[in-house]
Amino acid sequence: MQVTLQTLIGGLSLGAVYALVAMGFSLVYRTMGLVNFAHGNVVTIGAYVASTFYMSAKLPFALAMVVAIVVTGLVGFVIEFVLRPLENKDFDLMLIGTIGFGIVLDALAIIIWGATGRAVPSPVPAAPIDLFGLRIRTYDLVVLAIAAAAMLMLMLFLQRTKRGAAMQAVAMDHEAATAVGIHVGRSNSIAFVIGAGLAALAGGLVGPMLYVSPTMGGALGIKGFAGAILGGFGSIPGAIVGGLAIGVLDAFAAGHFQGYSELVTFLVFTAVIMVRPTGLFGERTVNRA
Amino acid sequence: MKRRLAVLAVAAVALWLLPYGLSSYAIHVVDVTLIFALLAIGMGLAMGVAGQVNLAQVAFFGVGAYTVAILTTHSGFGFWTAALLALLATAATGLFVGTPALRIQSHYLGIVTLGLALAFTNWVTNASISGGAEGINAIPVPQLPGVDLSSEYLFYYLELVVFAIALAAGLFVVRTPLGRRMRAMRDDPLAAGAVGVEVPMLRMTAFVLASVYGGTAGVLYAGLVRYVAPESFSIANMFLLLAMVIIGGRQSLFGCVAGAVMLSLLRELLVNYPTYAQVVYGSVVVLVVVFAPTGLAGLPARLRARFGRGSGARQELRPFEPYPAVTVEDSGDGPLLDIVGVGKQFKGLRALDGVSLSVRAGEIRGIVGPNGSGKTTLFNVVTGLYRATSGDIVFAGAKVTGARPYRLAQAGMARTFQNLRLFRALSVRENVLVALDRTRMHTIWQYLLWPVGVWRRDRALREEGEALLARFGLSDFAEARPGALPYGIQRRIEIARAMARHPRLLLLDEPAAGLNGEEVRQLAEIVRSIRDSGVTVVLIEHNMGLVMSLCERVTVLASGRIIADGTPAEVATAPQVIEAYLGDSMADTVEQVVIEEANR
Amino acid sequence: MSAAALEVENLTVRYGGVCAVQSVSFTVPAGGCLGIIGANGAGKTSTLKAVLGLVPRTVGALRVGGQDVSRVKARDMVRHGIGYVPEGRHVFAGLSVETNLMLGAYAQKWNAATRGQLEEVFALFPVLREMRGRLAGALSGGQQQMLAIGRALMSRPKLLLLDEPSMGLSPKLVEEILAALQRLSADGLSLLLVEQNAKLTFEATDSCLVMENGATAMTGTSGELRHDARVRRVYLGL
Repeated sequence: MQVTLQTLIGGLSLGAVYALVAMGFSLVYRTMGLVNFAHGNVVTIGAYVASTFYMSAKLPFALAMVVAIVVTGLVGFVIEFVLRPLENKDFDLMLIGTIGFGIVLDALAIIIWGATGRAVPSPVPAAPIDLFGLRIRTYDLVVLAIAAAAMLMLMLFLQRTKRGAAMQAVAMDHEAATAVGIHVGRSNSIAFVIGAGLAALAGGLVGPMLYVSPTMGGALGIKGFAGAILGGFGSIPGAIVGGLAIGVLDAFAAGHFQGYSELVTFLVFTAVIMVRPTGLFGERTVNRA
Repeated sequence: MKRRLAVLAVAAVALWLLPYGLSSYAIHVVDVTLIFALLAIGMGLAMGVAGQVNLAQVAFFGVGAYTVAILTTHSGFGFWTAALLALLATAATGLFVGTPALRIQSHYLGIVTLGLALAFTNWVTNASISGGAEGINAIPVPQLPGVDLSSEYLFYYLELVVFAIALAAGLFVVRTPLGRRMRAMRDDPLAAGAVGVEVPMLRMTAFVLASVYGGTAGVLYAGLVRYVAPESFSIANMFLLLAMVIIGGRQSLFGCVAGAVMLSLLRELLVNYPTYAQVVYGSVVVLVVVFAPTGLAGLPARLRARFGRGSGARQELRPFEPYPAVTVEDSGDGPLLDIVGVGKQFKGLRALDGVSLSVRAGEIRGIVGPNGSGKTTLFNVVTGLYRATSGDIVFAGAKVTGARPYRLAQAGMARTFQNLRLFRALSVRENVLVALDRTRMHTIWQYLLWPVGVWRRDRALREEGEALLARFGLSDFAEARPGALPYGIQRRIEIARAMARHPRLLLLDEPAAGLNGEEVRQLAEIVRSIRDSGVTVVLIEHNMGLVMSLCERVTVLASGRIIADGTPAEVATAPQVIEAYLGDSMADTVEQVVIEEANR
Repeated sequence: MSAAALEVENLTVRYGGVCAVQSVSFTVPAGGCLGIIGANGAGKTSTLKAVLGLVPRTVGALRVGGQDVSRVKARDMVRHGIGYVPEGRHVFAGLSVETNLMLGAYAQKWNAATRGQLEEVFALFPVLREMRGRLAGALSGGQQQMLAIGRALMSRPKLLLLDEPSMGLSPKLVEEILAALQRLSADGLSLLLVEQNAKLTFEATDSCLVMENGATAMTGTSGELRHDARVRRVYLGL
């Protein structure tokens, strides 16, 4: 029991990071009907920028995160701008285009920061909290809290603001959106920038938990995407639940199957998706597949 | 043809002589390039030809290489036995990875195949049988009497032969019925199902094909390098492979090969700066998808479209040659199509509500009703695109409720679509050929064991295709892409494609939409001739004149219910019909039309 | 006499090699009501989309209230007083009824006046008030049509472009839509109505244009056309 709970906690904290990544995927999909396969690579960039400014420039952790979010936001802006001619036209080509960007971003990360990784010290006191014999790292709690806050803000943005409603309308019907005066290109651009910002948030936060390396984002991206689909692609709460679920699945797979955790995780994911392609919270408001 | 043979001969000689000028390092590069080219062909078959997003090609590659490595070093098999078993293993892997394609497509399929590829690398990195992260070395040299395959120069010739066979086989598949069906499925899976293409089986076949090419490449890799380790099958290499296929042009196998050669050389050129090479090819992928989505292979066609002139020959739509009429004896065993109390519920919307109607063999039935009254939904339920929420469909005496579209097509139903669903990247001829082809998937063994049979059948199909195109007056447009043709011609192609099925029942969804008066007249003639040849016709139409003149019986739908059913004259004078569909002011006109028609 | 609500001269639309609309010209007088009828595929929807700029087109002249708008982007047409009700309704299915309506006023600041306009739409279509919290995708066809019209009205347009508002609706609902359109027209709104339903069109409009194969086949007042034997033939496709 103790072990199970401890594994669960470990899974949830890593799951919170997956959830942040998944939210980026889902937001971009919900507001422009696109899968951004470069999202994971943007996470890498975010992680490196944040850790660089935190460790080398000695900025406070929060400020380093802000810098990272601005930088990746710019990256997102560029990606959307280049691929704009394909929007609302060819879904699969756009998807491949984002893979192309992912390849470039990965290489750039290696060119700028080198192929070896770096460890990032935790920005909060390292001593874990002891709760009924369970050891909980304070930093994990911080990550969970930020993920929860990000979800709330994103939901509020989508449900309560004019811009948020308009961005969803674009994905549902871009012609009708144009007719009511929405600038579809600008809306997509904003979606991409926010998505990239979420990637930086995830990357920056995961730095002190894992080793920051050029391949980190790829792995996080795939798990995050899996989480987004598991939760129901396009749903923000679904992304949170799906991301946490993948994290927990990962943790238990690692506990029971050691090195084979990835194998088990993806086999289970494949099985779930085949049984329920729309995911747990699947609503399929956007259907372009 | 002669020119093509000459080019082929020159290429063969050049490839044969290639090793003579190369250093031992250069020949190694060439050997590896050929392996990547094989992988790219497999990927092109799945992604470009069949439209299945396959990001597990490196896993197929890995399964092939690792199976050889394990069987030769652990189990003591000879290289060739191990190679054969490795191909079987990859084919099985292909089946497994392809299974999700039955349920999901596009980006969902992308993440699942990518996940499975990761799962594979995860397994080989950890399992002791695969040597963990160190991999397996000392794979024995493949033995071939009289040839020392440990020499990379001689290994080149082995690869060259395998590559030539694999490329030829790939091209053969693409240009014969199997590949045509795959391309049709890629362009429009719904329409493909409606002309009898067994979409689920075909998707699996695409993955198996890709995996066999991957496995072959893996076997050659194991024989060449005689060492396997997880990093050769990493996701980075998967994306490199993807870049090759996209840059070369995924829909053309030659393009895939060209892409593989180009990127391999680029990688070699920048061998000391691998990350810069990565920046270059990643950027090229982005540029290609934005500016030249068909890749290198598509460039000639794009240039021709921009600068070239069309062929000088004047193209015209020729008159339709009527089918020979047959007298259909009323077999008396019930209606051909019987729709019994069918209901269809969408989220919050009752599209069909207890619709019952039966269609006699040999009749032309009209279905009319206001836009959105459920006519097309009814067609979709009958042809298996939608599953009825309640009720039953009986076709030719057999209950077919909920049957898959391709099954119904094979049972003798054919249809056209309201918004035209022609296969856009196929020529008009190929559109018809896909539908003419009545062979089932289980005859696919012929490709492996008796390709001559496939080839003969394809020739027979082509003859039949020419006859059909001629009958519909479409011969001049055989080579054209349907999208570039006027609307009226596209409509006629759709009817020709449906008739290529030799159906018993033809369902036409608004065949007159967008046609001018003369074209409508020709359409009426075509439909009558089709009926006279023994095919039962059901048509949805807005053009009341056409319905009134063509149909023996008319069924009127409104808000998902049948509100009238009878002869055109009866229906046109029924008050509920006038109210719902025609409006008061039009009623007298219809009567007048009916009278005029009767007097003709 | 004020300038016409909409003047279109020589509008042409091509898709690839196919000519969908061929130099069509028409005028919607200020406060007036013009109908465009024709069979499926005659080019009616393309005409409407081309006026709005949603599809690539060439046009000799395009004026709204006397002002040239031929170079105005589709997304800015609403700011020139044009409301658009697309064919097949195209409401934002995953958003609530109220959000759909508010998005209709996207081009303006959301303030008390917007709320007032919302109330006016609710007064015109009371059923929308009852459904305000529901997802638009969960509404019936008729309710979605009302929502689409209401959404277009939220921008306080001077001219409303309607594409087949009767599609898929029961006769009773068509009557309701017709009544709403007549009320709007009486309030001074100019209408351009594209329809297959000739009966509705003749009742709702002052004059009509009959399209066939992308070109103008005939024009005249609705009263004349409804009794014209040729129209009956064209409309019936003979």
